[in-house]
Formats: sequence, structure tokens, C-alpha cells
Amino acid sequence: MNRLKKEDLNRIKAECRGKKKDWIKVGYSTCGVAAGAQEVFATLCREVKEHHLDIEVKKCGCAGMCYAEPLVEVNVEGMPRVFYGKVTPETADKIIEKHVRGKMLMDDHIYDLKVHEAGAEAGLS
Amino acid sequence: MIKRIFIRDTNSSSADKARDFCNVLRNQLREKQMDEKVQLIRAADMGVYNQGIVMRILPDDLLYGQVEEKDIPRIVSETICGGKRLNDLMCHHAARQCRIVLRNCGVVDPESIEDYIAQDGYQALAKVLEQNDPEKVLAELKTSGLRGRGGAGYPTWLKWNLARNVKESQKYVICNGDEGDPGAYMDRSVLEGDPYSVIEGLTIAGFVTGASKGYFYIRAEYPLAIERIQKAIDQAYACGLLGENILGSTFRFDAEVRLGAGAFVCGEETALIASIEGKRGYPRPRPPYPSTQGLWGKPTVINNVETLANISPIILKSGKWFAGIGTETSKGTKVFAVTGKVKNSGLVEVPMGTSIREIVFDIGGGAGSGKKVKAVQTGGPSGGVIPEDFFNTPVGYENLQKIGSIMGSGGMIVMDESDCMVDIAKFYLRFCVDESCGKCAPCRIGGTQLLNLLEKISDGKGEEAHLAALRRISFAMQKASLCGLGQTAPNPVLSTLNYFEDEYRTHVLEKRCPARKCGRLFRYSIIQEKCKRCGLCVRNCPSDAISGNREKGYVIDEAKCSRCGLCLETCKPNAILRG
Repeated sequence: MNRLKKEDLNRIKAECRGKKKDWIKVGYSTCGVAAGAQEVFATLCREVKEHHLDIEVKKCGCAGMCYAEPLVEVNVEGMPRVFYGKVTPETADKIIEKHVRGKMLMDDHIYDLKVHEAGAEAGLS
Repeated sequence: MIKRIFIRDTNSSSADKARDFCNVLRNQLREKQMDEKVQLIRAADMGVYNQGIVMRILPDDLLYGQVEEKDIPRIVSETICGGKRLNDLMCHHAARQCRIVLRNCGVVDPESIEDYIAQDGYQALAKVLEQNDPEKVLAELKTSGLRGRGGAGYPTWLKWNLARNVKESQKYVICNGDEGDPGAYMDRSVLEGDPYSVIEGLTIAGFVTGASKGYFYIRAEYPLAIERIQKAIDQAYACGLLGENILGSTFRFDAEVRLGAGAFVCGEETALIASIEGKRGYPRPRPPYPSTQGLWGKPTVINNVETLANISPIILKSGKWFAGIGTETSKGTKVFAVTGKVKNSGLVEVPMGTSIREIVFDIGGGAGSGKKVKAVQTGGPSGGVIPEDFFNTPVGYENLQKIGSIMGSGGMIVMDESDCMVDIAKFYLRFCVDESCGKCAPCRIGGTQLLNLLEKISDGKGEEAHLAALRRISFAMQKASLCGLGQTAPNPVLSTLNYFEDEYRTHVLEKRCPARKCGRLFRYSIIQEKCKRCGLCVRNCPSDAISGNREKGYVIDEAKCSRCGLCLETCKPNAILRG
């Protein structure tokens, strides 16, 4: 990458924020890795590729809920942003099948959700 | 728009009650032909505890607590069909966490600088370089009231100003990531989850103090943190955010990672400096303080990871904003690593002034075991225990000191009734004795003597005079030790002795351990009348302490028994007695 100037910072910021895309984030700090995040991440990547889904799978740091690792946050347009906790490779399969492809939230695995984030659930006060 | 209803029974961990509730609700929705428009989801956690059945309804974002089956018709007709809020069912759940340090943890990809820039990353550095006025940054920090998050709570602006005012061409800034307290991992998570914010904080520290070189001192036991910070440094160099002419200015700053080989004392600033210089990690007496004479004899600022992660938000949102959070003397937020006998162990960031009770019960969900919470331990081996009676204390540097503990770096270990206070004191003291560098006598000899006394007490050989001796030696260590390690090592002993003297006395006078932790003070035996002669205990005993046969019955040999308790766990007819 080129050496950045202040204007470049604003440009990158605008570019990244402009990207409206669905994503999945996997907690990939020591707490997540110790609980099995590597396998979960691999499963999610494989499934996304297999079904040619337009969704980005990313790594991120520890969201604080270490007791529920591996933690997978899913943001799909028109649905609330949710955190699935204690995710196994099998649950990861189901997240792709039910949540991403079926647009339905899954029972018994949701540990937290974000409602007030922009774009996640339109029409909220 | 489709409604989504999250349901959970917050009184128990089983999903049975919530499942039944869902079925009733689903049937009633079907009667009203609403079942197509509503999705019911059983949640695994709602962040609300002991409020019965809790429902969260989206998109209205209503939270109903203590919901009973009789309320369902009302909820269906008024809230779900009518869109009306039922005030009597509303459950108040204030968002207690406030994320400043952890703002990007779990949000950005720690290996992508673009992700960080998208979250206003490097805007603070750009602002500082554009204004080109270190005094202005110091003034902002002074207004913010930010104090060192490593534990001692020294005002950050003052530390920076001291180093800034020394006339010297070469100065250094160091990020202290040698997090050694048992059970604490706040710094690790910040380094792993948001490395760029720490680099940005350190760069700003370099600019303000006039240092052109910074070091990240990270313990070698954190391989992932080291890998991420190294990648971040490399990427920052490639983007011109480290090195010469940062962001097109004339400012130059280099950063480098140095690994700590795992000595606890190297978290102490003078020992840390010695370690970076390649010497043995020995502390030295202060003054001179590192801000005037530090690394290689040059003025040096040492800040904790968490302190540095606070810098950019303060510069971007102003010191006044930061000072609006927290208490009179402790501003901003604090990250705690809540671990031990707690349901939700993890990282918690709360405004200063939040009570310990809120952290342990409202956010942590209380004891996971169902037993009563007895105390929390804060501040690691330099801290102390805080009994449940003091849980309403708002957290802050002075408040915690007043009740005999310290804020420390942010470890918070929850203990329940099955934890023995003598055992806890022994654990922390043994840690300090192992980690004592041996340079000064009060710490080297005092620690060992304290440990010997504690071992006698937990072995049932304690005498009443030992309690006075514990206090006397502790006092001597506090007064005469060279560095913080020795001065604070007796704290866990003193605070447990202060708040739980009864427990010590039971050990000494009755030779009994109320929590059944001290192995020499209780024994396992078999109640012959209850024993079914199945032999399961014999097969499970790892130390071959159980002998006998199916005809004659079994006995436990006290001398061989290691008090592991496996026999008690495996015995079906509950024929093993602990006492």
C-alpha cells in the first residue's frame, strides 16, 4: 500500500463504509481459538464457497463473551445482527443453511443481538 | 415486516420451560392467523438473569420480564397484533457496559488496517499531527482525567509531561504488555483484537513526549498477540503510519516488539526497562523515575496497553467527554476480566463507579454453580479479596483501596462457598514467592516465612500466635521491600485475614476447613450401612487408597488418600462421607 496522507484516511473510511455487504465474523482471539474457532471458520468458508453465497467471512477479536466462544456474529440484510455462541462445525453448517440461506434465526444458539446498529433492522426508533 | 420474538427462561439453564411457553404462544398466534408473520426463537442467553420467562420483541425492541402463560393472550392481541407496549411487563435492562477501550474488539479484523481506518482509526493521530501542538494534547488529557490502567493510577498527562520537560535528544515510550496477574487477560484481548489502536496511542505518546522510538514489551506466552502486533507494525510501516514523515508530516517514529520471558516482576517498570536493555529483570529503587532516567538512561514513558487504547477516543471526542464518564476521581471506563466461579466469564468494560454487584451478578450472571458467591479477588497477587458485604462499593482507584484491595490491572476472580480463604491466600502468596527475584531480603525471606505459616495452618498445625506473626511479617514486607512486588505480596494474606479471620481461626483452633479445601483437615470415609459393595470407588481411586472386597466391604486408607474426591463423585448410593 502507498504511504497514506490524511485525505487518504477519509477516502478509505468512506470506501469501507460504503460497502454494503452481508458478513459473518468469527471471534479469533486466543479465547476463540482455544474453543475451536479455527474449525468453525474453515467450515463457514467452505460452505459459503460451496453454495456461491455473496457473504464475507471475516476474523475478528474477542467480543468479551469468552464463556460463549467460539462466537459467530451474523449480519444479513433485513435481519437483526445476532451472535451465535458455543458454535461447533455442525452449528456452523446450520447457520449457513438456516440463517444465511433460509433467512430464519436459529433456536437455542443465540447469545446476544444488536438492534440499534444502522441498517441491521430498519425502521427502529 | 416480520416480527421476531426471542424467548428465554432466565431462571434456569434448561430450555424446557421456554419450549413449552413457545408452543403455547405459537398455538395462540395460529388462532389469530399471525403465525406466518412472527418468528419465535429460543435464545441461549439474553443478558438478563432471574427474571423468569423473558421475551424480547423485534422490531419494536420491547423487553418483557416475568412473563407467565396467562399473559400470552394479552401479548398476542395488544403487542403483537396491536403494536402496543404493555408497561406492567416491561423489564428494565439498562445497558451497563460502555465500550471505549474495547470499541473495536470483535468489530474489526485485527489483521486489516483498512478495517481500523474505517472505524475512525488514525484520525486522532492525524488531528494531533495537523495541530502540531503537544501542549494541546496534554491539556486535553488533563481535562479527561485519564489515569494509568496498569493499576497504580498515576495521571497519564503528568507522566507524559514529566518526560516531555526533560531536555534530551533521545527519549523512549514503552507499551507495557507484560500482563502477569493470574486470571487477567484484558491486555491480551486488546492486543489481539485491536492492535492498531495501541500502536496509534503509542505513536501519539511519542509525539507528545518527543520520543522517536517505541517498544512493545509483550510476554512470550502471548504468541497470537505478538503475531498480530508485529503484523500491524509491519503494515503501519508500509502505509507510512510508522517510520519517517508519518502522514506527510515531519514526525518520525519507530516501533519494535520486545518479548518478556515470563517473569512476573518484569511488569514492574524498572525491571521491564532492565529486561529491554538485555539485563536480568531486576527492579531498582526509584527515584530516579523512568520519566527522567529510564531506558538506557534516557527519559522514558511506560504506559499500560489499556491506557494507550484510551488515547485516540479522548483526542477525537475531547477530554470533557471522557471526564463525563466515571466518578469524581476515577474517570472513564475499566475493563475487567471476570473469571472464576461465575456464570459468564469474559471481558467486561464498565464505567468507573459501577458496583461490584452489578459486574458479578447483572453482567456476569452470578455464580455458575448455584452456590452463594462469597467474595471477589481483584488486583491479582498485589490485590486483596472483597467480601460480599462490600459488593455495593463503586469501582474506582480510591474506593477499592479503602476496602483493602486495589483496582490493579483488572482481573476479577469470583469465589463461592467452596473456596477456602486460607487456600486462596496461599495460592497468591506462592505465586509471589515463586516470582520474587530475590534481590531484597524482606521479599525473599518474608514471603517464604509467610508461606510456611500458611502451610502450617492449612495442615492443621497452626497456632493462635501464627495469626499475629502473619500480620507482623506482612507489615515488615510492605514497609521494607524494594519494589512493588514485595510491598504488595502480603496484601492477599492481610485482606483475607481481615475479612475472614473466622475461617483462619476455625483452621487453627478447631483444625477444620469450612470449605473442605485444605486436604489435611478433613478425610473421606465409607459409610458401611449405605455401601452397596459395587467397587466403583476402588476402580476410580487414582492413588490406590481403597482396599477390601465385595464380601467384607471397603475401607479408605487415610495415609494414601490424596483427597481428590473422585470416590465421592462416583459413588451412586452416596456412601462416601467427607468430614
